[in-house]
Amino acid sequence: MEEPVKILEFDVLVVGGGIAGGESALNLANLGYKVLLVEKELSIGGKMILLSKVFPTLDCSACITTPKVSEIARHSNITILTGAEPLKITKKGPHHFEALILQKPRYVNIPDCTGCQLCEEACPVSVTDEYQYGLVGRKAAYIPFSIASPRAAAIDIENCTLCGACERVCPTQCIDFTQTEEQIPVSVKSVVLATGFNLFDPLKIPRYGYGKFKNVLTSIQMERQLAPTRPFNAILRPGDGKMPDNIAYVLCTGSRDKSIGNPICSQICCMYSIKQAQLLMGALPMADVTIYYLHIRAFGKGFNEFYAQAQDMGVEFTKGKVGKITEKENGNLILRYEDIETGKVKESEHDMVVLSVGVIPNEGIQEMFNNDDLQLDPYHFVDQSDILASPAKTSIEGVFVAGTATGPMDIPDSILSGGAASAETISYLRRVTS
Amino acid sequence: MDAEKGKTAKFLKGTRTVPREVTEQLKYFTKTKNQLIKVLKEGEKTIPQLSEILGLPTDEVMFQLMSLLKYGNVQAADMDDRDEYFYYKLKDDDKNKS
Repeated sequence: MEEPVKILEFDVLVVGGGIAGGESALNLANLGYKVLLVEKELSIGGKMILLSKVFPTLDCSACITTPKVSEIARHSNITILTGAEPLKITKKGPHHFEALILQKPRYVNIPDCTGCQLCEEACPVSVTDEYQYGLVGRKAAYIPFSIASPRAAAIDIENCTLCGACERVCPTQCIDFTQTEEQIPVSVKSVVLATGFNLFDPLKIPRYGYGKFKNVLTSIQMERQLAPTRPFNAILRPGDGKMPDNIAYVLCTGSRDKSIGNPICSQICCMYSIKQAQLLMGALPMADVTIYYLHIRAFGKGFNEFYAQAQDMGVEFTKGKVGKITEKENGNLILRYEDIETGKVKESEHDMVVLSVGVIPNEGIQEMFNNDDLQLDPYHFVDQSDILASPAKTSIEGVFVAGTATGPMDIPDSILSGGAASAETISYLRRVTS
Repeated sequence: MDAEKGKTAKFLKGTRTVPREVTEQLKYFTKTKNQLIKVLKEGEKTIPQLSEILGLPTDEVMFQLMSLLKYGNVQAADMDDRDEYFYYKLKDDDKNKS
């Protein structure tokens, strides 16, 4: 590897290009600060860019995210690295951090790629598409998803047969298999952590049969089915392509459950399930939708009205704790649950089950910090050291936190939190220079 | 070492071995794709029909067929009489000729 020639300098390093990190970066950049935005995925936009609609307004999620994402991408004060993550961040002194960024090879020169997708067409390989959450395939030469930013191809080297077909059809010769991993040293004055969250993996609850029963899917898989850039031609059962007409939602999957190590509420699964139920009633007018819940937590602005609207539309709400799911030969599923109102154990049949999965912290953030202790809360989210007076403050001076890196929250709260983090960062930077 | 633009895959081949699973996966996909295209050339089919003809599980047919739908080889046609399953057919272009 070549020796780094010079250390790049920025005012702020924003780790994570989701909606919270994006909001922070944009605010900072609009006020003239130079921002380096580092995103580990191939596109910025986080999880929000992949959603269908948002609650409780039912606005199109992509229509809100994409203009913001293009503004971030085009901003002269923002430098974006996708497919990259900080290896280590070292505090050198007050208002001085040095970070080493790992840039993984994309094997495509982003500025030269026109997004024509000819490489995608030429690639003979088909593997599971992670951006459609495993419902469909994708090529090894691929654009992550249609509204990705940058809208540029990438080569999945792990699944590439090195046949060279992509290169032969590429009109701009932007594919470059000679790219290697790079470590980029940067110097910044402050850091904003917007590392987001993970969704709970329901394989950890084997009694729900996820993975084994193909018509049990996660809420994010249903979200993809409801999005305009959906994986199938309609809303269909992944098990056999049947159009479902009796769908169940199991709320609190992997949330409020000490047995799987996550005792806290996801704060979103009630509302996104109610939203999906409403969208399903629109997309499949003949379908029955039943939501099995422990408590409906419709606490935000307009949430309770949204819940009432779902009830008015005919969504069935059953206060019940689902214990086990079994599969019938025709792919239908039997839910065995405790009816909390009567205390009786009951069974019901559905032809598709959606597990409303919870919010889990991203691991490995603490380890990025070389010589300082980034404190986490008891649930492994980034600890807000002064939550009431300065909610973006962390245990390290000059390192701020935004969005779901601090804990579960919905989209409006994430954006607010991103705003707060940028304001606190600016206040910190101004204290330096004045 | 400089590799010629447009021929860099060859360059990487010199240092990187393609794992066996990757070539196996490619063979499997190509085989399934050809089988599905061959059956669909004879007429529209639903997922359960394709599963029965090819002796593949319905979820496997679903995954592969939906991938072909995404890649532009296949398109959805009408639903069956019971409004349960879609029929799928080949797209009328030269993609399916090989």
